[in-house]
Amino acid sequence: MKTDDLIRALAADTVQAPPLRTTLLAGLVPSMMIAVLGVALTLGFRTDLGTVMLTPVSLARIVLTGILGLASARLALLLARPEGAQTARVWPLAAVAVAALGLLLWAWVTTPAEARQMATVGKTMTTCLVTIPLLSVLPVAVLHYTLRQGAVTAPLRAGFFAGLAGAGLSAAVYALHCTEDSPLFYVTWYGLAIAGVTLVSTLIGARTLRW
Amino acid sequence: MTGQTGVWEQLLSAANAGDARAYGRFLQAVTPVLRGIVRAKAGGLGEAACEDVLQEVLLAVHLKRHTWDAGAPVRPWLYAITRYKVVDAFRARGRKTDLPIEDFAEVLAAEAGPDPTEAADMAKMIGMLDGRSAEIVRKIGLEGVSVAEAGQALTMSEGAVRVALHRALKTLAILRERHVK
Repeated sequence: MKTDDLIRALAADTVQAPPLRTTLLAGLVPSMMIAVLGVALTLGFRTDLGTVMLTPVSLARIVLTGILGLASARLALLLARPEGAQTARVWPLAAVAVAALGLLLWAWVTTPAEARQMATVGKTMTTCLVTIPLLSVLPVAVLHYTLRQGAVTAPLRAGFFAGLAGAGLSAAVYALHCTEDSPLFYVTWYGLAIAGVTLVSTLIGARTLRW
Repeated sequence: MTGQTGVWEQLLSAANAGDARAYGRFLQAVTPVLRGIVRAKAGGLGEAACEDVLQEVLLAVHLKRHTWDAGAPVRPWLYAITRYKVVDAFRARGRKTDLPIEDFAEVLAAEAGPDPTEAADMAKMIGMLDGRSAEIVRKIGLEGVSVAEAGQALTMSEGAVRVALHRALKTLAILRERHVK
């Protein structure tokens, strides 16, 4: 077949996939609603949510994970485009990491030495480490699906940001339930849960996002 | 610079809005440039094999055209797909190539040779499709009939032909990849 003939066949094909942003939002919005509903119905929201919204150190957990999730989702969407790998800027994520480490340091200094270990270990470490990855499954799957509809030229990085996005958003939802307000707890364990999900997503992405 | 770049953007946005004629013109316009890139990077691969790779690139551009952001310039997007597919195609053919994207700017457009490099590959792939899909691709591609005419000839609705054509092209892209690897 000559190339001109192929071009004629291609030009006649007017069926087109929807824009990537549409695909992502159509999957991500419902899956986050399911996550919120799931937490509300099984674990329940913490009863003092109103107070939390006025307490910077508690609120920071929701805000930081939320920003991490949204910024990473944007980056993943950018990396779904073939030229995205050249223009992706990651400094917003670095800002989140610096803020989280700052909080950790601040909590370390202000928590009395004998209370540090208790504050770090907390009471709900296991729930946290199980729930955040569980909540991440659906949003991360949606992100991977969107990336596969796209034209990813950096599969490893795309998988990384997809994991960070899904886990970040899920951690923000989990924070509506979790009552452990010390950064010693949440930076450590939320961070570990997010890192685990991100690692898995990166490994999967590197294998499945080639096309 | 902006003159030519602007034309590609206009054609592709019209195409993505459903204008098949603009899309045909877009593909006609970018093909010589992409051919030039493939040939420049192919080393001693031979013109027929280059034409194969070019067709793979065109299929990829086609199936991923929704990933172009209408507000962005076409060239970085187009070259990124080309680079990815060319590296892929050469790897599949047991060659390695290094493609710094900046070099693309200096590549000259290449017209198809006087003796069109008709690669057997694509015809073979079309033969691997189911009968009806192969018929649709041949009629529209080789005979140049419209979707409506193809539908009449095969007693299918226009919509059914469109869907079948789209599926066939998707399958072709997958078949080519598997076949070469």
